[in-house]
Amino acid sequence: MLYVATIRSPSARGSIRSLRFPTLPAGYRSILPADIPGRNRIVSFGAEVPILAQDRVSYVGEPVALIAGPDPALLEELAAATKVVCDEEEPYLNWESFSSDQVAAKRVAVVGDPDLAFSIASSVQEEVYTSGAIEHYYSEPQGAAAAYDYDKIAVWCATQWPYHVRDSVALALGCRAEEVSVRPTRLGVHLDGKLWYPSLLACHASIASIACGRPAKVLLTREEDFRFTPKRVRSSVSVRAALGKGGELSALDVRIAINVGAYGPLAEEILSQAVIACTGAYACPNLRVEGYAVLTNTPPGGAFGGLGASHTLFAMEAHANRLAMAGGEDPADWKARNVLRKGSRLLTGEILKEEVPYDAIIAHLAAASDYRRKYAGYELVRKRRSGRADGPLRGIGLAFAYQGAGPFLSGDASNSYTVEATLDKDLRLRIFTSAAGGAGGVMDIWRGSAAAILGVGLESVSIAPPETDQVPDSGPSTLSRNVSVVNRLVERACEAIQKRRFREPLPLTARAAYRVPKPIKWEGGQVSGSPFDTAAWAGAVLELELDPWTLEPRPLGVWLCVDGGHVVAPERAAAALRSGVADALGACINERFDPSGGGAGISDYFRYGLLPLHELPPIGIEFVEPERRAPVKGIGELPFDTVPAAFLSALSQAADAAFSSLPVPTARLIGALGAP
Amino acid sequence: MTVSFILNGEDVSANVRSVDRLSDILRDVFGLVGLRSDCRCGRCGRCFVFLDGRLVPSCIVPAFSARGREIITIEGFAQTEEYRDIAEGFKAAGVETCGFCEAPKILALADLLERSSRPSPREILAQISAVPCRCTDPDAIVRAAQAVIERRAKRIYRRAGQ
Repeated sequence: MLYVATIRSPSARGSIRSLRFPTLPAGYRSILPADIPGRNRIVSFGAEVPILAQDRVSYVGEPVALIAGPDPALLEELAAATKVVCDEEEPYLNWESFSSDQVAAKRVAVVGDPDLAFSIASSVQEEVYTSGAIEHYYSEPQGAAAAYDYDKIAVWCATQWPYHVRDSVALALGCRAEEVSVRPTRLGVHLDGKLWYPSLLACHASIASIACGRPAKVLLTREEDFRFTPKRVRSSVSVRAALGKGGELSALDVRIAINVGAYGPLAEEILSQAVIACTGAYACPNLRVEGYAVLTNTPPGGAFGGLGASHTLFAMEAHANRLAMAGGEDPADWKARNVLRKGSRLLTGEILKEEVPYDAIIAHLAAASDYRRKYAGYELVRKRRSGRADGPLRGIGLAFAYQGAGPFLSGDASNSYTVEATLDKDLRLRIFTSAAGGAGGVMDIWRGSAAAILGVGLESVSIAPPETDQVPDSGPSTLSRNVSVVNRLVERACEAIQKRRFREPLPLTARAAYRVPKPIKWEGGQVSGSPFDTAAWAGAVLELELDPWTLEPRPLGVWLCVDGGHVVAPERAAAALRSGVADALGACINERFDPSGGGAGISDYFRYGLLPLHELPPIGIEFVEPERRAPVKGIGELPFDTVPAAFLSALSQAADAAFSSLPVPTARLIGALGAP
Repeated sequence: MTVSFILNGEDVSANVRSVDRLSDILRDVFGLVGLRSDCRCGRCGRCFVFLDGRLVPSCIVPAFSARGREIITIEGFAQTEEYRDIAEGFKAAGVETCGFCEAPKILALADLLERSSRPSPREILAQISAVPCRCTDPDAIVRAAQAVIERRAKRIYRRAGQ
């Protein structure tokens, strides 16, 4: 086995002047772009990312060459001794104001007559909300290995998208896709951080393996992974809202800028999801939204617990709380009047066909958290307080949001996914899908659905390993898609088998393919189509207090209530949601780093950490049981869609100041409340 | 240099260089892949081992410093009754991990229970925070630890009664 070290760009933007390797011992070799037998590109949602930068570099840490050899310690030394010299150019780091050549994608949609609505509005509120970068902190660092296996090249890596790895490696090696076999390894908690980047490392390993004629492995250290792989994209969402005479939301003017880093893989999809979710869970008859995915010379940005909706859901929810508080109203009441209802028109023109369980969710939350009494009490204290020593610095916030699941929204992304199932003669069912390999809970849902349809025991249902030469392409396995789309395909394949089961001899095989009912189309300032097949709904209440001396925010309790359709395993779902709430709280309190200087530095790596478990407040999870039989829905993104907005509102109430981004630095809290 | 030490109850020796980390030697020379060397700076806890009874991140322990000492990895610990208590406790409490953090969490909990027979929930969570992972459900971990404490107490009383 050979190990592969990556030689990285020292510059954020410029052209490579020279690349000098130290004298390499026998058995070691360098790999340059010229050694790539096929195309030096991987393609992700229409964007192209170089496998090894050739001539030009676009971010600090971009791979420019590889060194392969048998001893990882020596490789580390050789990589450190390799000198990359670039003619540096002024990097593009600004993204909230940007030039036209930085725009990777643009989305515009206009509904109704927003100008007229603003001109007759009784009040208008405007704010800019920003979301920072978050590290995925997945269970295992990124890596890949490759080796010849008879007539194929076999690739091992932890990936959410095995077929993307296969196609990328085939393109890089200049061979047919069938000559590449991807054998995904165990995938830990990924939070959508392993969508396209494993394909890049798989290409590195495969190219090194072909060049050296031996198996090769790339394994990033945690530090490399932290500093140079995709993080959650940063966003700035400007929301201007107009209210009618009765306090109803009459118009919105939203401008979204998303920093997608260099090359902008996923830019189209992230932006599309952010734009479509920009009204949050609220009905708005007049709307103008303009979204930009902005290229900068920072490491490519990526998805994080969803593909972009959480940015605008956070902004809209925080703004809804602000609108209510400005009008002296409990946000729960304001939201009840403005929330989407069955029959409401969505941004895409579609009519919402399902009931929105707002009332039930808020009733559960209010009972569990004593929200209404606490909100009224803390408001009274806030209004009467004359200084930080005058009464407890407490606040409580509420947020309501949804998680849609279904097709990709960028319009040009492939939406063709397939699942296959085979019922053998011994009544054992095997499910074949490339989406397997993630959390065990999801696979148990598939097994449960299949077993129920075919009337076989759970132990008779197995999921085939997601190797690309064994299973069909089921698309990228994101958090929400696995539970909703893939589960539905498993059910359809099993239903097809069940129909034929007593008429045809076993074994029986059936395939189910996903068809988008109404694909999203972006045309001339209009967007049409169905934004999601199913939507799960959730509300969160968060109560916190500020330490009177340090002003550190201390959450006192979080309550999350979810309508996730048919919840197959409530205890496991609650456990997953509790972990999600813990992660969301970490993002609100201490998961921060600032890549605005061109990327994360080594000091960022050492400072960054998850919220210690003993600092977590009690977390209550409840499920609202739907009245009728409902489908299984994806719920994993809901903590990130709700908790940050609830936290921001609670913090704003506790400090009696308006905040618009998280985490709030202590200096800003001191500015609001005064020094001790 | 050749370094001799006790590894999971057996006398072993290995040729090591001054730059070698204990975690790398344990994985590469002895094939003990139950530990991982992800962060290489002692932060992630994935490489925990017991070194003379103390829980340490082996990626920041120089391999040569193992000379004459006793090391227990998850593979060795898995042979003990204490391990079975914890594994059963995890199962009973429905702890589901991502798979990458389970071994160090077991070692971390064993270390805590060695020092404190009835730790508080806060102490349990503080100890498990040494293995940061997004898969952790805090409630389940506390339930698991409490189940382990019960099992352990029963086992010890049973043995004392024999």
